[in-house]
Amino acid sequence: MAEPNVSELIDFGKRAVKVAVGRGAEEAEAFLSMNSGTSIDIERGQIVRSIKRMDQGLGVRAVYRKAVGFSYTNTLTDKNIEEAAARAFRAARASRPNKNWLKFPSPKSFGETKDTYDKRIVAVSSDELVETAAVMLGMVEAYDKRVLAVDGGVGTALGHTVVVNSHGVEAYDRGTAVGCSMETIARDGADVTPACFELNAERVYDIDPEAVGTEAARQAVSSLKAKKIESGVFPVIFTQAAFHSLLYYTLINAVKADYVQRERSALKDKIGEKVASDLVTVYDDGLLDGGLLTSKFDGEGVPCQKTLVIDKGVLKNFLYDNYTANKVGAESTGNASRTGLAPYASTPVLEASNFTFKRGNRTPEELVGEVDEGLLVYGVQGAHSSNPESGEFSVVATPVWKIEGGNVAYAVRGVMLTGVVFDVLRNVSALGNNVRKMEQLVAPWIRVENVRAVGRK
Amino acid sequence: MKDMLAKSVDYGRSLGAEYVEVRAQNLFKTLLTTKDGRVEGAKDGIEGGAGVRVLVNGAWGFVSLGKLDSKLVTEAVDEAVRLAKATSLRVKKPVKLADVKAVEDRVMANSRKSPQDVSMEEKIDVALAMDKTIFGYDKRIRSCTISYLDVTGTNYFINSDGTCIEQDKLYVWSRILASARENSIYASAREEIGSTSGYEIFDTETPEKVGTMVAKRVVEQLKAKTPKGGSFPAVIGPNVVGVFMHEAMGHLAEADLTLSGSVLYDKLGKQIASDAVTVYDDGTVEGAFGSFKYDDEGVRTQKTALIEKGTLTGLMHNRETACKLNMEPTGNARAEDFRFEPIIRMRNTYLAAGDSTFEELIEDVDFGYYLKSFRGGQANLDGTFQVGIQEAYEIVKGKLGDAVRSASISGNTLETLHKVDAVGRDFELWSGRCGKGQIAFICDGGPHIRVGEVIIGGGA
Repeated sequence: MAEPNVSELIDFGKRAVKVAVGRGAEEAEAFLSMNSGTSIDIERGQIVRSIKRMDQGLGVRAVYRKAVGFSYTNTLTDKNIEEAAARAFRAARASRPNKNWLKFPSPKSFGETKDTYDKRIVAVSSDELVETAAVMLGMVEAYDKRVLAVDGGVGTALGHTVVVNSHGVEAYDRGTAVGCSMETIARDGADVTPACFELNAERVYDIDPEAVGTEAARQAVSSLKAKKIESGVFPVIFTQAAFHSLLYYTLINAVKADYVQRERSALKDKIGEKVASDLVTVYDDGLLDGGLLTSKFDGEGVPCQKTLVIDKGVLKNFLYDNYTANKVGAESTGNASRTGLAPYASTPVLEASNFTFKRGNRTPEELVGEVDEGLLVYGVQGAHSSNPESGEFSVVATPVWKIEGGNVAYAVRGVMLTGVVFDVLRNVSALGNNVRKMEQLVAPWIRVENVRAVGRK
Repeated sequence: MKDMLAKSVDYGRSLGAEYVEVRAQNLFKTLLTTKDGRVEGAKDGIEGGAGVRVLVNGAWGFVSLGKLDSKLVTEAVDEAVRLAKATSLRVKKPVKLADVKAVEDRVMANSRKSPQDVSMEEKIDVALAMDKTIFGYDKRIRSCTISYLDVTGTNYFINSDGTCIEQDKLYVWSRILASARENSIYASAREEIGSTSGYEIFDTETPEKVGTMVAKRVVEQLKAKTPKGGSFPAVIGPNVVGVFMHEAMGHLAEADLTLSGSVLYDKLGKQIASDAVTVYDDGTVEGAFGSFKYDDEGVRTQKTALIEKGTLTGLMHNRETACKLNMEPTGNARAEDFRFEPIIRMRNTYLAAGDSTFEELIEDVDFGYYLKSFRGGQANLDGTFQVGIQEAYEIVKGKLGDAVRSASISGNTLETLHKVDAVGRDFELWSGRCGKGQIAFICDGGPHIRVGEVIIGGGA
């Protein structure tokens, strides 16, 4: 993977800002990204495809009479950059004033980040990645003949980011990531399990493909001979993947200032109030060492920070970007996100960074051992159909196991979990000590009492 | 452009690839978002790039680059061949492609109103008119987010089998989200519209019409009750039938997922649904959001029967799965843009209309639910599905009753398809976007249907 000329990227940004201001923009901002990634894909039991992607581009925001225009290009030549800046200004003129617009951020010093860039990831060869994929696949095959490695792979990513604005912000950061994942099913005669999944993503070159392969295969075999259960109200243990799915469309949205300000959050006016069990303490930590979403600054050049969201069950803070903060006289918490394959092509969106639950003291075995009759949920399906305003959810738990007498007894099929996410938070009865990173969530296993399960028996 | 791409294809062959394809695109996009009557972003952009895919010794190499430059495209071919060679050392069952006839064609967009000829000001006006209609409908409406996107441009496709296609792209899409609140009751509703014909979609889907529909739906929910949990008979509207056909049925019949062990794995030629059920995935519906002439492997699109009178008769294929299953490619290989390799995607997926009227569907239901519009859905390879329902009503003694909010349905796809006992004579298609690692523009739909039993959840 090639390293870019950083000063050239910054010069492109400055040029775009200068052109937009020269055209008559009151303020302007340029965001540049240069990304590349390599991945090796496993499909239906074999390594079958290698992919490399490279893209770069610039996005310009220009402000004219409190109206914001945006334009992007992925051709970084002086001519295209000047055109993009001019188009952003034209879009601003075509747009309508927004009385709540104040200004782009001013420069601030950035916090320290650790373990977000690893030159070993930049240097890794595709041959080595193929070998890693083969090791992971080998673990699945060796585990049990009934398991099929449906989908998976190994991949690396490298990204460079520049933000420049007309108030003097001039920021550069770079980051790496590496990950491996495996989706499996098991088939025994007519018995086909639901898809099971395991992954390991890191910012430094330290992943465990053996463990991922073995765990994905273990889940699939353990999902065979699933039973149906009666409806009831149970204690439920959520793994990180399941809890992330559940929270992503509910709690994580409810603490974003744009949802709050637009009356789309049930947590509006709840700062200082008890919204969760005493055991629940949550930080949004944009500076977490090695965090999957850690960076020095956000998509607007605002320093990333560690924000206390829930302290021992009490709601403390919402998450802000520059616009929502200015609107109410608060400070941005550095949560303006520009992500995806082409970050330059998007305007900032308010997003959580590393949404971190404070760990508890139980081992996973203890969490399970203390449950007389309950469910162990590894994934939920349909969480995106949750009601974002009320926190109501109704999801299918899959894969999921029944716990009986403190032991994981058997796999269960077709259970729906229904409830309100804020009741789930109030009913948290224990947290594990097994913290791991799952997309935005950093958390251990979490046990919740009194969850309604609709069975099919 | 074509010469440059043709040279790259030849170069790939000279390096020993058994198959080479190069796709190049120039795309223009306009995007805008309004939130509560405020224009949050008026955006446009230009992007160009190429995707090179090669097959060497039965393994794929794919390289995408966000630049159109002959030297870089040549380097990308080198890189793709190198990646494929490294991968091929591990391939157990080499990939082969089904034969298709080489095609040379130029496909022009023929819209009455190209979105490129409509000013940013006018696009903003349409969104704001919709916003105004929604807020004007009822003062309990608290928020409204409108997104708009149009994509125009040209797609070049050249492969080593002699196919050479230049195909215009044109998409117009909008999504409307509204929420309302009364005391502690929160409600939300969403709607999407999309077209491959042109900006004229807004002449029929006027801001007033769409706005009123969304506003009415969200306000209805405020007085709605939550559903009883359990198994009930249900009459399902075209919008929910569509998402069911797409999520619960369609994905299982994408041949890559079928081969990966979906519950349809060994069901070709077998009865998997009641006789009332016939399902198509159809890329030929004029102007529909999931229509196109050639897919991203250069294969002509078609109307593919998936289920005929309850029997599974077809799957959706690319050239690789068609060869593997000894069937014909169906033109379902689609790539979001040059950054992605083509994979099997749906087009316009629908259940074919039957002969019942709506009244006939509900008159025999003693107690059940009418599920009118969805909020999202998902399915697993084993046929477990879940669909969130944003608008539903009770059916009591053959008549529509109270509104119901925050319901969801779940079950097993094949069990549910067997329980379809009547199919309506009406028909609607709804536009949407489908995510499978990449975004594809699609439609789904059908008539009203009645299902003997489905699990209703929700209503915490």
